[in-house]
Amino acid sequence: MELELGLALPNNHLMKGLDLNDGSTTNSYRKRGFEEAFEEVIPKATLPLFVHKNGGDGDDENDSPQLKNSPELNSISGNRALVGWPPVKHPRRRSAGGGAEERWSEHCGSNSDDGGGGRRAKCVKVKMEGVAIGRKVDLSLHDSYEELFHTLNQMFPNMQHGFAGFAHHPHHHRRRFMVTYEDGEGDWLLVGDMPWEDFIRSVKRLKILS
Amino acid sequence: MTYFPEEVVERIFDFLATHRDRNAVSTVCKTWYRVERLSRRSVFVGNCYAVRPERVVARYPRLRSLTVKGKPHFADFNLVPHDWGGFALPWIEAAARGCPGLEELRLKRMIVFDESLELLARSFPNFKVLVLISCEGFSTDGLAAIATYCRVLRELDLQENEMEDRGPQWLSCFPDSCTSLVSLNFACLKGEVNAVSLERLVARCPNLRTLRLNRAVSVDTLSKILARAPHLVDLGTGSFTIDHRAEAYHKLINNFIKCKSLRSLSGFWDATPRCLPAVYPICGNLTGLNLSYAPAIQGADLIKLIRQCSKLQRLWVLDCIGDKGLAVVANTCKELQELRVFPSDVYGEGIAAVTEEGLVAVSSGCPKLISLLYFCHQMTNAALITVAKNCPQFTRFRLCILDPGKPDPVTNQPLDEGFGAIVQSCKDLRRLSLSGHLTDQVFLYIGMYAERLEMLSIAFAGDSDKGMVYVLNGCKNLRKLEIRDSPFGDAALLEDVGKYETMRSLWMSSCDVTLGGCKTLAAKMPRLNVEVINEMDESDELEENPSDLHRVEKMYVYRTVAGPRNDAPDFVWTL
Repeated sequence: MELELGLALPNNHLMKGLDLNDGSTTNSYRKRGFEEAFEEVIPKATLPLFVHKNGGDGDDENDSPQLKNSPELNSISGNRALVGWPPVKHPRRRSAGGGAEERWSEHCGSNSDDGGGGRRAKCVKVKMEGVAIGRKVDLSLHDSYEELFHTLNQMFPNMQHGFAGFAHHPHHHRRRFMVTYEDGEGDWLLVGDMPWEDFIRSVKRLKILS
Repeated sequence: MTYFPEEVVERIFDFLATHRDRNAVSTVCKTWYRVERLSRRSVFVGNCYAVRPERVVARYPRLRSLTVKGKPHFADFNLVPHDWGGFALPWIEAAARGCPGLEELRLKRMIVFDESLELLARSFPNFKVLVLISCEGFSTDGLAAIATYCRVLRELDLQENEMEDRGPQWLSCFPDSCTSLVSLNFACLKGEVNAVSLERLVARCPNLRTLRLNRAVSVDTLSKILARAPHLVDLGTGSFTIDHRAEAYHKLINNFIKCKSLRSLSGFWDATPRCLPAVYPICGNLTGLNLSYAPAIQGADLIKLIRQCSKLQRLWVLDCIGDKGLAVVANTCKELQELRVFPSDVYGEGIAAVTEEGLVAVSSGCPKLISLLYFCHQMTNAALITVAKNCPQFTRFRLCILDPGKPDPVTNQPLDEGFGAIVQSCKDLRRLSLSGHLTDQVFLYIGMYAERLEMLSIAFAGDSDKGMVYVLNGCKNLRKLEIRDSPFGDAALLEDVGKYETMRSLWMSSCDVTLGGCKTLAAKMPRLNVEVINEMDESDELEENPSDLHRVEKMYVYRTVAGPRNDAPDFVWTL
């Protein structure tokens, strides 16, 4: 069944019969074999995970340190998939004005009873090398790689040297991490190489390597 | 004192008001232990797994009031799996066997099944008070059992529970002979109730003082109820939508006017500003007001309402009140003791509603303010320092800056100094929640100054193990420590393992603690349960036996005399 994915608010689409093995993607990017993909060093990761906002439309522009302090990254919109944040009780989220109910990421939690109508989360597992316990991230709450990386940074604070204020200490020692994903055909690829929409369509799970 | 007859000792113990005092006297000698336990009427169990229910019941056979808490606090924010535990049934079963005189049961964050409620209803002929807060697992069928069999029920108080709705008939199960209700709160119920049953129930309970309706109750029904129960003190309206021109609206106003005893208002779901004047007649008497479920009431309307509430002691609002609205609160509500400002736009993409200005205004205008919960978009050190100076009497201070790790926007500094001022100035501070960009320095301050602190919540804060160690070393009265997403690891965890036996519990999630660290803690302290919560799926290629070096995602440590629990699900490992 052909999957219809858009970037509208999650309420607008239903993801029935999610079939990531449906290989009918029409992207023309070149897939790399595993070794080929991960032998190279990521070019000068001033921001190890950040890619230009337009996603990988093939043209990986140079990351600028400014990206770190950009309002988008500091904005709360990147926190949408943080479980349990802000610390507000369940019933209050439901009746809070506007789209709070739809954006809530409880669908990625273990036992979500939320009968809230029709929204289907796109949760994929995220494992970080060296961490026994995986996390889950709801990709449907993100519109771009930046937002995804922002969320990942918050889920795995080890990626920075101390979490708090990562966006405010541009000279902090940073370790290099690669975010990879497994696509519908079982290949492992580097996140960020293709347009966000195609990525969402094909991603099955994520893995962060150091 | 051993030559006083025991009856005299018992009389003396009657004057001891707090659990702590009673617990203390019971340790003096065998006689006092016996006298105390046989005369104990009320027991509070802060962690249901700290002690076995049978033991509590055996020790206190004459128990009349039992309070038990289950899941850790962070369960409120979905950080604890639903089936982690905290079952009420063992407690109800044990009490049914050992304390048939039980009259009151209060449960918080526990799993309560309908069968448990039915057992409760049938086992205690004198049962009077049931309070369920943030519980789950039951339905209206369970409530039906309570209504049917608890002949002298005085209080049925359901707060923020996840309960299944199986129809409105439960309310009709209160027999006609039931006239003893003093307090009925079903605000969290999602479904309809039978309006006629409700009105008749209200009419035949002359002592009813607290009534909190749910969203499904119409204003029409509310109006009729007010007519029948003008002596209400605490009212939760249902959905407060009404055509303000209709005759029904005028009836409503008239009925409100008759409620001279009304002191507390809540509910207001779906309320629109045009309906608010209905409550103006009684605003001047209000000591409590909860508008946090009424996002449609904003700005000017909110201000107009609050200007009339000069006696307010407790105010819960949404942040759409704005800094301007808080300035009005500061000018009007001189008796204010507790303020809660909740986020209306949980993900903060709307207009920034309240900032540090609102908080400073309230702190300077409300001299009796002692309890605060404040969600805002930004905070400055200068503001916190001012607040600390204005309000040295805070006992509860919970600040949540919506963007995690956000510094002072004016100076770009961490908020260490601001929170430091709070703990230094507020000598009676018992509860503190931190947010914003914070380094180890704030924890140094907390360890140094927060002597009375009992509960501390930390999120996205600190730089190193030192931070956590400052707190563990400094806060002598710490009972509950909960930490998420902060860089504290094994060194901090293991620095002072004896400390955890002086506390109720420690929660750490998304920190740097490893499995090995947890195992070490468990090995050193047999009277602690060290639980590691692993929510892995079976489909995970696995870490069947993760190495000790692996970070633990969620850890919950608590002191216990009950040993490891036997009802833990698969994903909870007690080390």
